[in-house]
Amino acid sequence: MRVIGQSQQAERALTALLSAFAFILVAMGFFAFIGEPPFQTLLAMVTYAVGDSYSLSESLVKTTPILFCALAAIIPARLGLISVGAEGQLYIGALVGTFVMLLAVPYGGWLLMPGILIGGAVGGAIWGWLPGVLRARFQVNETITTLLLNYIAVLLVSAAVYGPWKDLANLGWPATIAFPDASVLPFMFGTRVHAGLLIAVVAALSLQVLFRYSRWGQGLDVLKGNARVGRMMGLDFQRQAIIVMAFGGVFAGLAGITEASAIQGRLQPGISVGYGLTGFLVAWLAGHNALLAIPVSFLIGGLIAAGDTLQLFNKIPASSAIVLQGLLFATALAVPGLIRLWRARRG
Amino acid sequence: MDEAAWILVAGWVAAILRSATPLLFVTLGETLSQRVGIINLGIEGEMLAGACFGFAVAATTGSPTLGLLAGGGAGLLLSSVHAGLCVGLGANQFGSGLAVWMIGLGITSFFGRSFVGAQVDAAGSIGGSWLEGMPVLAQLLDNLSWTAPLAFLTIAVAAAMLYRTRPGLAWRTVGEAPDAARAAGLSVARIQVSGVLVAGFLAGLGGAVLSVDYTQTWAQEMTKGRGLVAVGLVIVARWNPWLVPPVVLAFGAAEAAVLRLQAGGLEVSSHLLAILPYVVALAVVIAAYIFSHRDGGMPQGLKGVFAARS
Repeated sequence: MRVIGQSQQAERALTALLSAFAFILVAMGFFAFIGEPPFQTLLAMVTYAVGDSYSLSESLVKTTPILFCALAAIIPARLGLISVGAEGQLYIGALVGTFVMLLAVPYGGWLLMPGILIGGAVGGAIWGWLPGVLRARFQVNETITTLLLNYIAVLLVSAAVYGPWKDLANLGWPATIAFPDASVLPFMFGTRVHAGLLIAVVAALSLQVLFRYSRWGQGLDVLKGNARVGRMMGLDFQRQAIIVMAFGGVFAGLAGITEASAIQGRLQPGISVGYGLTGFLVAWLAGHNALLAIPVSFLIGGLIAAGDTLQLFNKIPASSAIVLQGLLFATALAVPGLIRLWRARRG
Repeated sequence: MDEAAWILVAGWVAAILRSATPLLFVTLGETLSQRVGIINLGIEGEMLAGACFGFAVAATTGSPTLGLLAGGGAGLLLSSVHAGLCVGLGANQFGSGLAVWMIGLGITSFFGRSFVGAQVDAAGSIGGSWLEGMPVLAQLLDNLSWTAPLAFLTIAVAAAMLYRTRPGLAWRTVGEAPDAARAAGLSVARIQVSGVLVAGFLAGLGGAVLSVDYTQTWAQEMTKGRGLVAVGLVIVARWNPWLVPPVVLAFGAAEAAVLRLQAGGLEVSSHLLAILPYVVALAVVIAAYIFSHRDGGMPQGLKGVFAARS
């Protein structure tokens, strides 16, 4: 296990603080560029994200799938793999979970809810396992395969809901029948926030403990640092590559099935608004630390929720939230390099 | 074969060329970028930026040529972010590429909305009355604009430059052995920035060919992963510009076949058919890995990028 010294921690805090500051400047620059008052718009976004209990609950609604997808990127990253496949795993999770629902609906019963959740987890795991096997057996770069598999997954869901699974009662709208109440996770505080958020947070905390204290987590650290040393210690990179990819997929799959059942109420196209890529960004910003991913997911969830409200009240397209995410990513990548340059110049 | 059959084939070839032309530019761009040691996933966003702003300029000015140039410019502008982050600040190339992709996706969704449904003229056809009496050739050239020959010309020029000139040698050295290049007095950073910017221009141009010349529409996220497909096809083409046309055309044939099957009224979900190009791309990438001793042809400098992960 790696021990992080105090100076290193202070260094990280400084980088994070400067990155946040730089991002605020960049975001205000973007608002000015699109002809909006920079400071007021920024303030409006903060209000729309956490200003009252409704805004807060909507931010938490977005936090859930983002945190799940962040975990789907973090687990492979512990082995040094760059998986950008959460979006596809989310869709296949929703697809398989919905399939379980369609099969089980006539029987009803208390098994329905765990059934669709397991279906979602299995679906996501399959879509992670596939690039994992390709990486382990043939050294095929997992970044490229996961990116391509995303598009296939989205189209498979479209094929299902435009085709055999379309509910004719929807009058042509491409969607399945509604998830029966017995299959939907309970909602909390009378809002749209569902128990999936609790599952995601507990998963993040458990993973943090596993990464730090379990033999498995320490084995991943060794393999990531040096595969040859890992092999001498009896660790198997190939095996672990398949495990981390499939295990990561489980969580993205849960994001998909909970979005479809609890938020949308049915499987339809567009169940994700880029949560997979957003999750990857969160994983990166959190330094692939599962614990840190929780607050970072909430921040980005708030950003996306605020983007929706901004469109409603200020007539600024919601895609501004995508631009801001991209700028945040770029800023976070730039700041460490800028600090290094600045230090080098000072000698 | 009789003439009617040849005319049919010519129509097929024209369809494949038209659908493959955007990808020829983009794949060539990614190849050049990776030859100087920079992998660029942001090429998807750069292609999208080219498609959006190229279409906007073509629709506003009425000139497809200006639109294509503007598309290239938009791609170049966006790629400067990648160049600044990777080369200037030493940021992770995968992360930077995804950031650029997000920015491109967001900006084009944001500014492209007002151009949905606008009209553009396609680039001029290279056929014409001079082809009278040559029905096979007419069938081929009437259906092609000058963007297709431009793509092949660009590839030939780029390949010749890369393998036959001193600057080309410098580019290859930087990609294969950056330390040796530095020791030889080459400015590694300047050459890498040039590579990324050229790739950005070509990706933007490819995107503009897609929206202005091929589909003649703009739609949000219309590139649908073509830029990422290009990243995969670079591996299949062994980082060799000369191999870009055969690889991309094989892929374009798969895409054109999908359109033909759809038009032919095949009783399969159009969504399932749309999966085919991605499956083909995935399959050829996997095959390239299996049958070519893994990294065969990969610039040595890139191996560090793939190995040093964080």
